[in-house]
Amino acid sequence: MKIVVPYKWTCDPEEATARADGTVDWSRARPGVSTYDPVAIELARGLAQATGAELIGVTVGAKGVGAAIASKAVLSRGLDRVVVVEDDSLKDAGRADIAAVLAAVVGHIGDVDLVVTGDSSVDVAAKMVPTTLAGLLGWPAVAEVAAVTGQPGTLRVERAIPGGVQTLEISGPAVLAASADAVTPHVPGMKDLLAAGKKPVEHLDLASLKVPARSAVMTVTGRSRPERKARKGQMIDTKDPAAAAAELVKALRGAGVL
Amino acid sequence: MDFELTDEQELVRSTVREFADAELAPAAAEVDRDHRFPEEVIPKMAGLSLMGMPWPEDVGGAGADYLSYIIALEEVSRACATTAVIMTAHTTLATSPIYKFGNQAQKDKYLFDMASGRRLGAFALTEPAAGTDAAAGTTTAVLDGDSYVLNGSKIFISNAPYAEIYIVFAKTDPDAPGTRGMSAFIVERDTPGFSVGEAEHKLGIRGSSTPPLYFANCRIPSEALLGGEGKGFKVAMQTLDGGRIGIGAQALGIAQAALDAAVSYSKERIQFGKPIATLQAIQWMIADMATEIDAARLLVYRAASCIDHGKPYSTEGAMAKLFASETATRVAGKAIQIHGGYGYTEDYPVERHYRDAKITEIYEGTSEVQRMVISRAALR
Repeated sequence: MKIVVPYKWTCDPEEATARADGTVDWSRARPGVSTYDPVAIELARGLAQATGAELIGVTVGAKGVGAAIASKAVLSRGLDRVVVVEDDSLKDAGRADIAAVLAAVVGHIGDVDLVVTGDSSVDVAAKMVPTTLAGLLGWPAVAEVAAVTGQPGTLRVERAIPGGVQTLEISGPAVLAASADAVTPHVPGMKDLLAAGKKPVEHLDLASLKVPARSAVMTVTGRSRPERKARKGQMIDTKDPAAAAAELVKALRGAGVL
Repeated sequence: MDFELTDEQELVRSTVREFADAELAPAAAEVDRDHRFPEEVIPKMAGLSLMGMPWPEDVGGAGADYLSYIIALEEVSRACATTAVIMTAHTTLATSPIYKFGNQAQKDKYLFDMASGRRLGAFALTEPAAGTDAAAGTTTAVLDGDSYVLNGSKIFISNAPYAEIYIVFAKTDPDAPGTRGMSAFIVERDTPGFSVGEAEHKLGIRGSSTPPLYFANCRIPSEALLGGEGKGFKVAMQTLDGGRIGIGAQALGIAQAALDAAVSYSKERIQFGKPIATLQAIQWMIADMATEIDAARLLVYRAASCIDHGKPYSTEGAMAKLFASETATRVAGKAIQIHGGYGYTEDYPVERHYRDAKITEIYEGTSEVQRMVISRAALR
């Protein structure tokens, strides 16, 4: 059994600052494993430990994603090996492009039974890659996965849904997106950190994957912010709560909000 | 000259920070307020090999370099200075002398359990009348057949109530001049005649229990002698040389925590209609704090790097401890100043950082002892 966990080596927007012109300054942000990917690794690790599956990390992106520290960071969390596609042509790649490369890597690895992703990436947070990847692979995609058990061909998946838990049985390969709080990732031990550098890392050439050319191109052509409206500074100083509420409702109706 | 940390050292920092933020920081104020030894974190730290980082894997450690250990200690201290002193007293003071001076039988008996964090250690050198003048100790060990009989007392012994193995220094030849009559011993907790007193009420690191030890005709086997008779002062000083770098790291973590708190508060606190971080008076304090911490960090890391490269580190360790500890006190003081009246209350962590910082100027060699070590080297 092979389980693939895609991961992203990127910067946390909380460490970035917005310039006056609306562009983002990432220069002080330090890259790391995207926030929810350790949750995916932990979820997959539990299944791998129960089934004896091989746990393979995959990352694709521009220069930097293949840094040794990036591989060691995820390998220390329990992956058996990682596969890296590092190519600067992926610098501004969209979700469809990334999913296409991931699908090609899954094909390269071969005999993959399951892909487990994080809930979303910390920098883009579009939640599009798991479903796009599943579409390209022709596999079912399940989001908000809280637990997974079983064996290849008979996976039992629990999804957190509003008001309860949905249980699914999946026969055949699938792409699962772990919910943000599916499990608490364990903190790697010091020995795990020091041993991570000894695990195998495979670097793949993007061209060798023969990723199909995309049929449509989407480019961000502009960004704008809504204009800030001046505050009216209207105060309600009535001490009687009922009168204050009535005055508030009247003011909101007057402003056309209600 | 390379100022870059290795991948592993960077990962040690981020990983230990992840652990410390989740497991240590939330309880740090309560541990301090209630003078509570956080014994529940020791198995967790042992599980991550944080209780024996610099010792080889085959003796139960993590096999990390010394700088990685120092970085881990800094991060633990940043979250909880009490836990940092538990970690360094166990690793650098109690386990280190067995690793460096123990014979094979002693290593076989104690090292794995200590390096893996299964059994906690303590280091007992200081006596009521023998602090900086460590050779003035009056605890005696008299050889009687195949045993030594210990009599006397120790004071300010970190980890003592929870430790199982103690490195104890005693005079085997009280008439020998200077430091020559002192020897080191390994004493187990349940030895008859050995007892642990009541914990001291301290200004800071309040969760770290530091009671006295009492020895009343405490009979230990002669095999408990560590490093040979009359070699105790050498064992103590070499152990403290390494320990000082650990205290430097502890001070560094406290200082960083104080700066982090000051930066955060100064961005939120509004006075004169704007955050106080926009005021030059605050900016200059922040600048001085950040600069001093960076200088301290370079000294502490340099001293640890000396150990990793097999170079002498006594003077470097003394410089690191001296500067980092005094920096921690200054920085924590400025952090309180930036917080104003709020900083003087227990509602904010900086008063704890200030109290925790002060001890780093005192234990494992006062600042005055460090200046003595440094001046001796400079005036050689």
